[in-house]
Amino acid sequence: MNNIALGRYLPLNSCIHSLDPRTKIIALILMMVAIFIPAGWLGYLLIGTAVLILTMLAKLKISFLWRSMKPMLFMLFFLLIINVIVIHEGTVLIAVGSFAVYSEALFQTLYIVVRLMLMIMLTTVLTATTKPLDLTLGIEDLLSPFKVIHVPSHEIAMMISIALRFIPTLIEETQRIMKAQASRGVDMEEGSFKEKLMAILSLIVPLFVSAFQHADDLANAMEARGYVPDRPRTRYKQLKMLKRDYITLSTALLILVLLIGLAWLR
Amino acid sequence: MPITFKELTHEYNAGTPFAYLALDAIDLSITEGAITAIIGETGSGKSTLVQHLNALLLPTKGSLTVLDRTITAAEKPKQLKELRKRVGLVFQFPEYQLFEETIAQDIAFGPKNFGMSEEEALCKAKEMLQVVGLSEDYLERSPFELSGGQKRRVAIAGILAMDPEVLVLDEPAAGLDPQGAKDMMKLFVRLNKEFHKTILLVTHDMEHVLNYCDHVVVVDNGHIVQTCDKLHFFRDTSLLHKLRINPPAIIRLRDELNQRGFELPCDILDTEVLAKAIADEVKHHE
Repeated sequence: MNNIALGRYLPLNSCIHSLDPRTKIIALILMMVAIFIPAGWLGYLLIGTAVLILTMLAKLKISFLWRSMKPMLFMLFFLLIINVIVIHEGTVLIAVGSFAVYSEALFQTLYIVVRLMLMIMLTTVLTATTKPLDLTLGIEDLLSPFKVIHVPSHEIAMMISIALRFIPTLIEETQRIMKAQASRGVDMEEGSFKEKLMAILSLIVPLFVSAFQHADDLANAMEARGYVPDRPRTRYKQLKMLKRDYITLSTALLILVLLIGLAWLR
Repeated sequence: MPITFKELTHEYNAGTPFAYLALDAIDLSITEGAITAIIGETGSGKSTLVQHLNALLLPTKGSLTVLDRTITAAEKPKQLKELRKRVGLVFQFPEYQLFEETIAQDIAFGPKNFGMSEEEALCKAKEMLQVVGLSEDYLERSPFELSGGQKRRVAIAGILAMDPEVLVLDEPAAGLDPQGAKDMMKLFVRLNKEFHKTILLVTHDMEHVLNYCDHVVVVDNGHIVQTCDKLHFFRDTSLLHKLRINPPAIIRLRDELNQRGFELPCDILDTEVLAKAIADEVKHHE
């Protein structure tokens, strides 16, 4: 459980860490849009370089980014197979009987792989350099203009932060219940299908019971302190945009504009 | 000796930046057929220690022998089921492991996993429910309707139904009311005396150690600081003070009287003997 790299915060001290979370979220969105602009290989080279520089500035290791991508490998492989079967354009590379692999299938897959990789890398940089609570603060602030059209920005942010807060608790609880059931002879790895089903049931039911218990306790605790979501609230942590935030945003915007320019020229 | 630890080390997340040494080359042997209390501060390694007994945790270094199984760090053990049947482990707040529709089914879950037939297991469930002090009417009810203390009894019955030779309990009385805790401890004494089970008990309550246990193991910061019998343990309370644990009321009274000039023997452990000794002393001075 401790090896999960995807979405994990790394407490380092870098200039990316100290950026305003709102800056990072907006910059991420800008870059995501940029990734989807069909600007050819030159465009991807540009974004790729930017991502690498970003990673270095954030003092993250490439191996960390690689580990966060591992869970996606299966999906990428799956994509390749689908593309090979579906796409019948370009030149034939390999032909076995009536089955043929076309060059376009490989190119399309490569495009998607590169896009996905860049996206995951960017998101990993965001989550690795921003504390989950700061992230929710940022989301809350960014959503607040939408209050006009009745988007409950504060409630959404509160829900996200509670969910994030309880992930480690539930992981711990899962491990504890697994051990308790193992003591009662449950074998999580071996056994017939029926036994496995029973093993999962013996884990899920107590986990749900305790999740509801936690939710109930938390709701009571919040109510006891007079929590009312739609009242104005003060904050301990104030977000402030500094010069470096504007620089970051301008850079992201510049990259986006460059990409649009490249796409235009093609 | 049914249970011996030999230079056993356990390190969590070994080889990562989060590595944490929970047990540091401990040597320990636990007497068969006795009730042994394991005490120590929070985070001292007690829970890590007991989880080795049914191989939920495996040693990073060293070895341990439980009953006739030897588990070493060198080889990955197989067929742990048999060991887990013979060493019943009750976790802290075991009521959170209940999941079946009826109490009878939940108690029978363990035995069935260890190969007992459905009828036999349900029969065992009925028997064990009585042992933990709940009536037969509960058998067909849902475990989620019960009170906290009752749930805990059902959870313990679920382990007892496996008929383990060694029973390991991690703070079984935590969070129970005083009467409930007392009943719980009496149950363990009965299991020990009547059914000859070896019992290991992680506890914070010194009154329980004094009243119900035979031996004491003190764990501090991943090391075993002391292993001795109860009489020895309460003779000198300096270690308890060092560990910031409050000695039982009788022992405190005995020590305070001695500090103020009484000369009571240090192996007094129960109220009546203490009262008699005080009376004798007072008479002696009159």
